[in-house]
Amino acid sequence: MQPVECGDCGNEVLVHKRSLPHTAVQWTRSTDHCPELAGPDSARVPVCTRLRASIEQAVRDGALTVDDGGEP
Amino acid sequence: MSARSTTEGGARVIEAGRPPERYARGWHCLGLAEQFKDGEPHEIEAFGTKLVVFQAAESGRLHVLNAFCPHMGGNLAHGTVKGDAVACPFHDWRWGGDGKCAGIPYAHRVPPRARTRAWRTLEENKQLFVWHDPQGAPPPEGVTIPRIEGAFSDEWSDWTWHSLRVDGANCREIVDNVVDMAHFFYVHNSFPTYFKNVFEGHVATQYMNSAPRTDMTAADTVASAGDLRSDASYYGPSYMIDHIWVEQDGATVETVLINCHYPVSPDSFVLMYGAIVKKLPGMTDEMAAAAAAETSQGLATGFEEDVAIWRNKTRIDNPLLCDQDGPVYQLRRWYEQFYVDAEDVRPEMTDRFEFEIDTERAVQVWKAEVEENLARRAAADAATAGEK
Ligand code: FES
Ligand SMILES: [Fe+2]
Repeated sequence: MQPVECGDCGNEVLVHKRSLPHTAVQWTRSTDHCPELAGPDSARVPVCTRLRASIEQAVRDGALTVDDGGEP
Repeated sequence: MSARSTTEGGARVIEAGRPPERYARGWHCLGLAEQFKDGEPHEIEAFGTKLVVFQAAESGRLHVLNAFCPHMGGNLAHGTVKGDAVACPFHDWRWGGDGKCAGIPYAHRVPPRARTRAWRTLEENKQLFVWHDPQGAPPPEGVTIPRIEGAFSDEWSDWTWHSLRVDGANCREIVDNVVDMAHFFYVHNSFPTYFKNVFEGHVATQYMNSAPRTDMTAADTVASAGDLRSDASYYGPSYMIDHIWVEQDGATVETVLINCHYPVSPDSFVLMYGAIVKKLPGMTDEMAAAAAAETSQGLATGFEEDVAIWRNKTRIDNPLLCDQDGPVYQLRRWYEQFYVDAEDVRPEMTDRFEFEIDTERAVQVWKAEVEENLARRAAADAATAGEK
């Protein structure tokens, strides 16, 4: 997994993209400081759209490589 | 994440492992609260022991105690409710909902500190829950069963409810379903088109869209007749709330399903499920009840399909996954938080993890399979018509 920083809140997550539609995101700290996820129901929010935009930007910039290898 | 797997002459060796000896920490649903409110004590075999559930006659509250009486081991579930206590069938000792001995009619006095184990209970969504923690601690803040508004609304049907005991399998098998996209096609004859998981804290969610299987008749599939959207979360180790929206005849049918279980022993559990359906405009109570019953029938078929797989499969600790499989290892890492002491829960078990499957390849292959099935059926129909 490769680190990606959220352009909005600055939090860093680990991301793996096997293809453009596939996305795995591993958080390594609490979601309390994310403007879209913070709150008691964070687990029930499917995605932070700002972080998602940063991940897509990282793919376009070539900072995040799409990698079909390795175990799922 | 399956690096510890070994091979034998190049062949993968399955590590069946052993089901855990302990039982998950968390709220476990025991069934609809109503079914325990008949004035009788009820026996529940769970967590490697037996429990008694009874309703205090005066306060009306439901209580759960160890079934076996600390006096001489009588089974309270075979006793009688007397006032707010349950009376043992063996020597009539009375036990209150708080676990204290409430009286021994033939004795001068109750021995000091005569007490049995009272289990913490919760009534929510018209269901009864019991809290299990091997360390004996109360539920941490925020760990509770969310209220389902439809369960308390006239605009929704009543719960349907079924239970099914599964022997020869640990309850991890049913939890694995959370990430198992492909089995919905092969086992349940449905057609997933979108699939995403999110795990965070004690909640694990599955977001799934699926299309109808046009190659299946109503008899072959429990899958819906229209496009379906499902949003399903486990709150803790055993209670899943599944919100489902189905597009049918120009209307959206809204359903809430419960899929829950409690362990009986390390290799058996009781699986329970039920549904409520939101009434469409013009629907009578009877029609809503019929719709819920139909949904429930579909659920029953679906779980029977799962059980048939579990009865014949092996436990596997090191599944060999492909690129279109969901995050089985991460799900199990999440699930492990309920099996370790509270102080041993590691951040990676509860840190947020999201996984969205690229379904393109699977959808393409499944479409082709559906078309092949349709063509085969059309050819068979034509042949029968020709014979006539
Ligand atoms: S064993 Fe229960 S009253 Fe004696
Ligand atoms: Fe299943």
